[in-house]
Amino acid sequence: MRDLFRFLFRVRDTLLFIALMLIASMLLYSGNMHHRAQAINSSNAIAGTLFNWRKDVTEYTNLREVNERLSAENAAWRNRHNTAYAPVAEQFVRINDTIHRQLYTYVPAKVVNATWHKQRNFITLDHGSTAGIGPRMGVIGPDGIVGVVHDVSAHFASVISVLNPDVRTSVRLSRTGHFGLLYWDTNDPATASVVDIPKHVRVAVGDTVVTMGGDGVFPRDVPVGVVRSVEEPPGRPDQAIVITLAEDLTRSGFVYVVNDLQQAERDSLQQHQLSP
Amino acid sequence: MIGTVAANIIRFIALMLLQVLVLDQLDVANGWMVPYLYILFLLMLPFELPAWAVLLIAAATGLTMDLFASTPGMHMSACVVMAFARKRLLRLMAPREGYEYGMRPTVPRMGLAWFATYASVLILIHHLWLFFVELHRFDSLGATFLRALLSAAFTLALCLLAQFLTSSARERGRA
Repeated sequence: MRDLFRFLFRVRDTLLFIALMLIASMLLYSGNMHHRAQAINSSNAIAGTLFNWRKDVTEYTNLREVNERLSAENAAWRNRHNTAYAPVAEQFVRINDTIHRQLYTYVPAKVVNATWHKQRNFITLDHGSTAGIGPRMGVIGPDGIVGVVHDVSAHFASVISVLNPDVRTSVRLSRTGHFGLLYWDTNDPATASVVDIPKHVRVAVGDTVVTMGGDGVFPRDVPVGVVRSVEEPPGRPDQAIVITLAEDLTRSGFVYVVNDLQQAERDSLQQHQLSP
Repeated sequence: MIGTVAANIIRFIALMLLQVLVLDQLDVANGWMVPYLYILFLLMLPFELPAWAVLLIAAATGLTMDLFASTPGMHMSACVVMAFARKRLLRLMAPREGYEYGMRPTVPRMGLAWFATYASVLILIHHLWLFFVELHRFDSLGATFLRALLSAAFTLALCLLAQFLTSSARERGRA
């Protein structure tokens, strides 16, 4: 027995090494597989507060650019507002518009930390559950999609950027209507791949790619990008499509978190289907 | 003793802040060079520290980094692997009469050649592990290898720079 203890004492460093590696692998595995990384992500109060301080200091350096983008976006919405239109023919004017119901609400948030040059990229936002943000909500910017929320604390949210192979968003070729998956394997912050589009579909360079919607993450028809190159590699059932992302993820200032109001209804229906 | 502990704690905080607030935002060569200077803290731990303590400190350091980078376990495993290799490497690289009390693994105390060898081996181990775990698939081995290599060179350059900037003139004169 004493020999056993002596042996264990002699190899204690190796045992400790193995134990620590086991803990690390468990964290790694649960983090990658389930998209909920327990408390170890940047939505915690320490990281969030620190990033917020830095943002307070660095915010002023690109205010001009952020303001220009916001005013361009405001102008685009103003152009769609009904005060910008005059009736053309009286009999076609819809007077009372109460037959629409709201599908989505948007929560504005500020990006306080973002990486784009790593192989897995994450974003931290300055609002959390108190602002109504929750896991699995989509995040969009003025020009296109940005990422998916994966964990929130009271005042911060951690977002998996679309520049991360863990995010696979359902997208649609807006010209032909075919569905595919957005998958970031290009390791370049300006581009991404669209996979699962069969070879018989004619895809042209310059086609726009938009979100499919209906997945409870993104609304329908949010811009994703523009096809940059199309190839047909042998031995693969689908085409290798590379797109230029619509949103420049290296400079996201303000973003909107999408809250799908029908999420609960859709989920309960799918639950019924699964357990009749 | 107290002074050494305090110096290491201050170094830990300073390097962590530098890494998280500045270096993580640095986009050099479109993502081909990503420096992880925070491991300089692990490189500069005293020789006298027992291996189990180095392993625990490395795990805690990696976990702190994971907290900021939203990558549970990734930096932790890389740091633990590095700490395990450090023990072997220090034994290999020991001077003939062993490490004297009060020696530190720094450029002024051990010389540039010794420190550069010591740091480059450990940085390379850490970066290769980190980049392959980060990729989590095996389709672009060459690109990831090159990425790790370039990043390691960048980290090593920053480590040496940090050593020259922080060592006092007195220490430099003695070395």
